[in-house]
Amino acid sequence: MSELIIKFKNLNWFFIFLVGFLSFVGLVMIYSATFGEESNILISHVYKIIFGFSLMILFGLVEIEFWKKNAYIFYFIGLVLLIIASFYGYLGKGARRWINFYGINFQPSEIMKIFLIVSLAKFFDEKKMHEPRDYLFLFVPLTLVVIPFILILIQPDLGTAMLILFVSVVIFFISGITFKFFGILGLLSLIITPYLWGGLKEYQKQRILTLFDPENDPLGSGYHIIQSQIAVGSGGTFGKGWTKGTQSHLDFLPEKHTDFIFSMLGEEFGFFGTISVVGLICLITYMAYYITGRFVHDNFNRIVGYGVITNFFFASFINMSMVIGILPIVGLPLPLVSYGGSSMLTYFIGFGIILSLDRKIKFN
Amino acid sequence: MSRDVNLEKKLRRRALILGLSKSFLSLLIFGKLFYLQILQKSKYGKLSDINRLKVKILYPERGTIFDFYDQPIASNKTDYQLSIFKDKKNLINKYILKLNGHIEFSKKDLQDIKVNLSEQDLSDFIIIKKSLTWNELEFLEFMKNKFPFLIITKERVRNYKNDLIFSHVLGYVGYKREIEKKKLSNLKYGISGIEKKLDSKLLGSDGWIKFETNSKGEIKKEIKKKNAIPGGNIKTFLIGEIQEKAYEEMKGISGAVVMIDCINGGVNCLVSSPSFNNNEFSDGVSVEKWNSLLDDKFNPLLNRCVAGLYSPGSTYKLIAALHAIENLNYNKNRKFFCSGHVKLGKRKFHCWKKEGHGEVNLFEAIKKSCDCYFYNLAKELKVDDLAEFSKIFSLGKSTGIDIPNELNGLMPDSLWKIKNRGEKWQKGETFNTVIGQGFMLSTPLQISVMTARIATGKKILPSVVYKNRKFEDLQINKNNLNFIKKSMYSVVNEINGTAFSSKLSGIQKMAGKTGTSQVRKISLEERERKDGVIKNEDLVYKLRDHSIFTCYAPFDKPKFAMTVVAEHMGSGSKVAAPIAKRVMQLALKKYL
Repeated sequence: MSELIIKFKNLNWFFIFLVGFLSFVGLVMIYSATFGEESNILISHVYKIIFGFSLMILFGLVEIEFWKKNAYIFYFIGLVLLIIASFYGYLGKGARRWINFYGINFQPSEIMKIFLIVSLAKFFDEKKMHEPRDYLFLFVPLTLVVIPFILILIQPDLGTAMLILFVSVVIFFISGITFKFFGILGLLSLIITPYLWGGLKEYQKQRILTLFDPENDPLGSGYHIIQSQIAVGSGGTFGKGWTKGTQSHLDFLPEKHTDFIFSMLGEEFGFFGTISVVGLICLITYMAYYITGRFVHDNFNRIVGYGVITNFFFASFINMSMVIGILPIVGLPLPLVSYGGSSMLTYFIGFGIILSLDRKIKFN
Repeated sequence: MSRDVNLEKKLRRRALILGLSKSFLSLLIFGKLFYLQILQKSKYGKLSDINRLKVKILYPERGTIFDFYDQPIASNKTDYQLSIFKDKKNLINKYILKLNGHIEFSKKDLQDIKVNLSEQDLSDFIIIKKSLTWNELEFLEFMKNKFPFLIITKERVRNYKNDLIFSHVLGYVGYKREIEKKKLSNLKYGISGIEKKLDSKLLGSDGWIKFETNSKGEIKKEIKKKNAIPGGNIKTFLIGEIQEKAYEEMKGISGAVVMIDCINGGVNCLVSSPSFNNNEFSDGVSVEKWNSLLDDKFNPLLNRCVAGLYSPGSTYKLIAALHAIENLNYNKNRKFFCSGHVKLGKRKFHCWKKEGHGEVNLFEAIKKSCDCYFYNLAKELKVDDLAEFSKIFSLGKSTGIDIPNELNGLMPDSLWKIKNRGEKWQKGETFNTVIGQGFMLSTPLQISVMTARIATGKKILPSVVYKNRKFEDLQINKNNLNFIKKSMYSVVNEINGTAFSSKLSGIQKMAGKTGTSQVRKISLEERERKDGVIKNEDLVYKLRDHSIFTCYAPFDKPKFAMTVVAEHMGSGSKVAAPIAKRVMQLALKKYL
């Protein structure tokens, strides 16, 4: 028992504070998003934060070897859930992403990201690439990536699929795979892309195309990008004030409590608010980097750390970029801030892994 | 081992690259946020305001026009109008198709939408349908969610008490399309009548209201408001019942009825027949309707009271006679023998009575309306003096009434003849002038003013709008005036008088003068043919004489001066006088 207390004490509480602060920002914004409306979203969000927070502490106390040992089992479970979700799941907003589990809608694609990261880490930890012929083995991790990628793409969930791809590329990169291999991979995807493009739904294509000319079709897909930029831009330096955003509260901004929560933040708290959140995300990323960077010799820990933090950073980057018009609207929540249980829990679990890594360094 | 060191170095390098690229991405976001929120703040601030703030113009309620007894004759009614958000105008066609069957869009409605779309207006709403019925309102209320960005507004629009009766005097309202880039496309201005003349007073001034709306086109709240100031009310001298009675009497007849109050100059009645529907005009009349009115041979758009020109006929004999006794020391007892015509050189001038009146003096000449007597009188007077004197009675010059488009009429003199015809004045033309024929033209209003001035000896000025005024004396010998008035009395009340059949039945007495305004020239051959001059009834309508009667009552204390012109209805005694009698009887009975 006392061992558990020591472990608890050894948790990186500053990191926990930063993560907690980011989810507090989320709470503040969800409050504003539901302000004046009859909805149980806020209460539900509070429960999710409490549950997620507990999960983070729990996994902070779990040793990292737990993940290493069970990586492939988790991957397999995740894959089964994903198949169920993609083919038999609950249909919402034109996508089949959810599994209804005792009344709770659960999105397996989110947790699959963690399972994929640990599985890839386990693979690269055990297989060291020294000889060119070793690269034949890369067939295995490629398969690990492509199967969930395709399953998620057909749901369709472009945002999560792209994120999985990015994170996997980063893991390959961080594992020391030669550039030659990336070249071949790039060439290969160039050949495959037209087929993939042909397989995309019309609305997905439209979403990507409007990135290039959002003003062209102001009431179609470009409308959301324009309205979101107006919301952010009109916030100015200090914003219009909490719950005072006109774009958000008069419904010009779509999905203000999920994908476009950052736009509402920009409108209500201005440049000051957005920069603070960007800064906070960078600080969390930097701290996780610092922790991970100290595992020079342990490939598994290193790859898991970079994988988890890249997942968090890229998700944040893609979300913020799409609402301010750098990337197309792909539909991805802002980690810990947007409303949505599965994604939030996944990020909390991820930070739990970082905490566990941090504890391991202190222990050593 | 060195291989491991190398690998380690490589992995560290890659972690660094990863970290650097993330920093770069963060900077990218920072840069874009800086651009949006700091550099372009005002642009996006404006765009967000355009999104939510919608301005609606508040149109002022037009002032009410009352009759003399404070009955509203031009007021306003509530009109429900359907508008769409201006920035959603691309929805209009879709909505019209979807609403079809529930809300009828007439050809004119569609035309109006086109005009509204092309107009630059401060309002953020475009009207797509006016005058919604209760059924249409109910339907829209019920289907509100299916048709976002539509709003129903309640406006107050012009409504006249009666479709036709007051149309010429009150006029109507309408848009001024010609004004470029005007701010208020839904504001109606006075187009004719009192509405035009007193437009600035009736108009009021506009206000606006700024709404906050959401993306679904729902109005959330009112941000700011400047109330419209309603136009001022106007009281007139018109008497509704007399106006209605006169209009009733003129049914089927083209012509005019004008009644003036001899005490204050107020116009109690101003009817021009046929009329048009000023309610229909104010709602906006269709091109077809407008053209059919323009092509109407009875010309309903013409206000005959102030712009209908007629030879005053024998009613003018009053002025000719007054001129003779007032200015020429003419002996009113002088007699002439009327044989039915008077010769001037080779020309024969005919009396209306072919067999002649026999021996008559001036009094009898007026009473019986003997033309020959006046031909003889004409030999003694100069047309220029007569014209000068006539102007005292507002003949040949406008009366200055407060409704637009009044004509001057024409009081010919030698100078006019040279200027306009390039010829010298002929004596025979004086013959025609003294009996109110020839070149002379006057409006029914002018004849009424003439009568009112004879009746009072004062310079009565007509006014439709209520004013408190006193009039100066005309400086005409009272005895002479009384002589003319008495002769007018005899016209109506003595057995040989031309309007004896229109004598009033009560205690009050009426004085008057008949007139027959010739429309054609009667040729020599016609006069000399076996059956004599063609009877009026046998002529083509357009060539028939106008029937004119002017009068005042009560005789001893003049209050109402009235003129009736009935176009192509023959002699004054036949049609105009009986109408005048009936209208006058009502006026005396109820409004004396």
